Amino acid sequence: MSSTAMKKKVLLMGKSGSGKTSMRSIIFANYIARDTRRLGATIDVEHSHVRFLGNLVLNLWDCGGQDTFMENYFTSQRDNIFRNVEVLIYVFDVESRELEKDMHYYQSCLEAILQNSPDAKVFCLVHKMDLVQEDQRDLIFNERQEDLRRLSRPLSCTCFRTSIWDETLYKAWSSIVYQLIPNVQQLETNLRNFAQIIEADEVLLFERATFLVISHYQCKEQRDAHRFEKISNIIKQFKLSCSKLAASFQSMEVRNSNFAAFIDVFTSNTYVMVIMSDPSIPSAATLINIRNARKHFEKLERVDGPKHSLHMRMR
Amino acid sequence: MDEDWKPLVSSDQNSESSDRRDSTDFLDCKAKRPFHVEPKNIVKDDLRERVSSEASILNSRLHYYSRLTGSSDRLLSPPDHVIPQPEEIYIYSPLGTAFKVKGGEGASKNPSIVTIFAIWNTMMGTSILSIPWGIKQAGFTLGVLILSAMGLLTLYCCYRVLKSPKSIPYIDTSDWEFPDVCRYYFGKCGQLSSLVFSLVSLLGAMVVYWVLMSNFLYNTGKFIYNYEHNISDPDFGSNTSVICPYQLHNSSMDISITSNNTSDALFHFWWSKTNTIPFYLIILLLPLLNFRSASFFARFTFLGTISVMYLIFLVTLKAIQLGFHLEFHWFHSNDFFVAEFRTLFPQLTGVLTLAFFIHNCIITLMKNNRHQENNIRDLSVAYLLVGLTYLYVGVLIFASFPSPPFSKDCIEPNFLDNFPSSDVLVFIARAFLLFQMTSVYPLLGYLARVQIMGYLFNNSYPSFFHVITLNIFIVAAGVLMAKFYPDIGSIIRYSGATCGLALVFVLPALVHMISLKRQGELKWPSAIFHSLLILLGIANLLGQFFM
Repeated sequence: MSSTAMKKKVLLMGKSGSGKTSMRSIIFANYIARDTRRLGATIDVEHSHVRFLGNLVLNLWDCGGQDTFMENYFTSQRDNIFRNVEVLIYVFDVESRELEKDMHYYQSCLEAILQNSPDAKVFCLVHKMDLVQEDQRDLIFNERQEDLRRLSRPLSCTCFRTSIWDETLYKAWSSIVYQLIPNVQQLETNLRNFAQIIEADEVLLFERATFLVISHYQCKEQRDAHRFEKISNIIKQFKLSCSKLAASFQSMEVRNSNFAAFIDVFTSNTYVMVIMSDPSIPSAATLINIRNARKHFEKLERVDGPKHSLHMRMR
Repeated sequence: MDEDWKPLVSSDQNSESSDRRDSTDFLDCKAKRPFHVEPKNIVKDDLRERVSSEASILNSRLHYYSRLTGSSDRLLSPPDHVIPQPEEIYIYSPLGTAFKVKGGEGASKNPSIVTIFAIWNTMMGTSILSIPWGIKQAGFTLGVLILSAMGLLTLYCCYRVLKSPKSIPYIDTSDWEFPDVCRYYFGKCGQLSSLVFSLVSLLGAMVVYWVLMSNFLYNTGKFIYNYEHNISDPDFGSNTSVICPYQLHNSSMDISITSNNTSDALFHFWWSKTNTIPFYLIILLLPLLNFRSASFFARFTFLGTISVMYLIFLVTLKAIQLGFHLEFHWFHSNDFFVAEFRTLFPQLTGVLTLAFFIHNCIITLMKNNRHQENNIRDLSVAYLLVGLTYLYVGVLIFASFPSPPFSKDCIEPNFLDNFPSSDVLVFIARAFLLFQMTSVYPLLGYLARVQIMGYLFNNSYPSFFHVITLNIFIVAAGVLMAKFYPDIGSIIRYSGATCGLALVFVLPALVHMISLKRQGELKWPSAIFHSLLILLGIANLLGQFFM
């Protein structure tokens, strides 16, 4: 990707207090250093250095519910905020008592999107679902989904229900990232071939900044359904520790008599994790395989790359 | 597989150590292995997984989220409904065993009835003695109405105080009291003002106690003296069951009037309600104030309950004996009866502000309620019971005060003063109350000391010198009031209105409005209502001075 290409944005918006900062912190492993008093809405635009999927920058905005100063600032900066947006992720607090107002703010964001970045993808997250009783969750979510889909026309929005206390947040963001990867189906086919060639038990492809699993291949049934989120959490914790020493995480090898696991940089946007259950295969062999595969996958990305960025520049 | 079980310490090293017989830890090589805990199988030797997948992923999340915020930040702390029940939690030791946690905090908390009783007990103070006088000052009908209204108002403000720590986001407020909440919203200034006003109520109570204790000690001593010397009180005669002390004061300035006996005169000289007894009390109480810890005195709080129960019994008995004397004159007082609606009603509101005051410690009292969701219900029930008790005592004394010979205006701020010192039942009441107050006075002194010393010196007992200085001031205030202005009605209403201004009306309303505003949920009706509350508090205080 050319360095002169404009940075595209991922907007994370929602009412003040709907959980965006927590969400960003958990997904992107950002430490939240809070004041003991919350001094008002999160003013968080250019401070975000999170680069995501190569050239996307995450911007977080409180939308509605803040004081008039923020409202005015927001309105005056509207065009700036909504230009060059690749993705809009709008967060709704399921416990909010002001549904009308929330929908109203959402619609005004959509209008701004239509004007400034009509090709942006829109995702709606109905958040804090753990506060709803279990037997009512599906009902409430379906209701909201209906309303949101109706309100979003002509844009189409994808809705997810999320909570930081279960696997729904991780799965929702994984789906979002999956839809943002430009040539994901091709990546998956190649990944399967790669795994079968090197006789791996399981191969995972992670997005680089968030360690969300983009795609995976497994050759047999695995017991733990939550293993993706667990690996993500472990590696993000490790990254946090590394960053305290101003070091950055590059690769990891874990082995015992039962298995060997390799986590390594793969392409410019991804990490790969390869799990071999045959401990007799030496590490060096697998590492060579990964290195060769890397070259192949990079070529894949580059082949589609310029096409992709050209497509963007032509908008 | 077997490699995992190989001891880290090889057998060579072991044979070396076995040569050193002086080593006290002569363990065999197997035990020197690092412990091996099968992570999913720590409770029994069961091959099934004991750790469910939900538990293990929750554990992973908790570990990760705890790295994302500061340790005191509750933003990413798991809420209660996410954490499994105590029955499902195992605590395991690294040595490979696990056990279940028992019960939990619920076992040490109090059921509702205990909490309600504790609140009733704490609120019932000496202001019960002034309620009949307060009703008289406001007029009977207006008095009853005001009592109900003040009860509801103070209940609402108490509810606001109780809820105030809950609406503070991101901080663990579980051990905060109301001054901490004020500090959060208003800074040091807020904490200081809530402290100062709380001290006003404490010191007001202590001064009232001193005056009352002098009163009761005087009457008790007089009763015993008269009983010993078989004197029937010349002032009052033996037939009247109720007296009107202020009529007597009008006729003679000193209650120690002339009597035939020089020894009597000597007794009245040395045993005077305002001249000598307040000083005798110093000898008894000043040492008690210097105790480092008040836990000894806290054991006597049950005396307060018994005193109130006895007072209720006494009041009922007197009402039966005296009968009801009520006449309704709506707006104009006559010789014997007072109007139903009087302009002196602020005096009642002042007394009631202190009578219904518990706002400085309600959070602490409610903390140990077993079912926290019932807090509001329990608080309301407690306020209802307190209101009913005050109403009962106030109405019965007022109604049964024999009006044809005496005017209702005679009712004293301490209604026990309306009974002669020769009345046995009332003597018992006075003795009881004296004993109870002697045991509560050091407790109040301790609370005042802890708050003042804690704020000024960060230490509740900086040195004997500091403490004795403070105690001398407090005692001196009591003695001076007892000597020169022993009108407990005024002391109660002024101190009640002052501390009520801050802690009952202004601060809770302000805190609530500010927290709503910060959430962006402050609506006009709510803002107007709470501003009205603040104005009411100010009017209450001003009314004490002007009416």
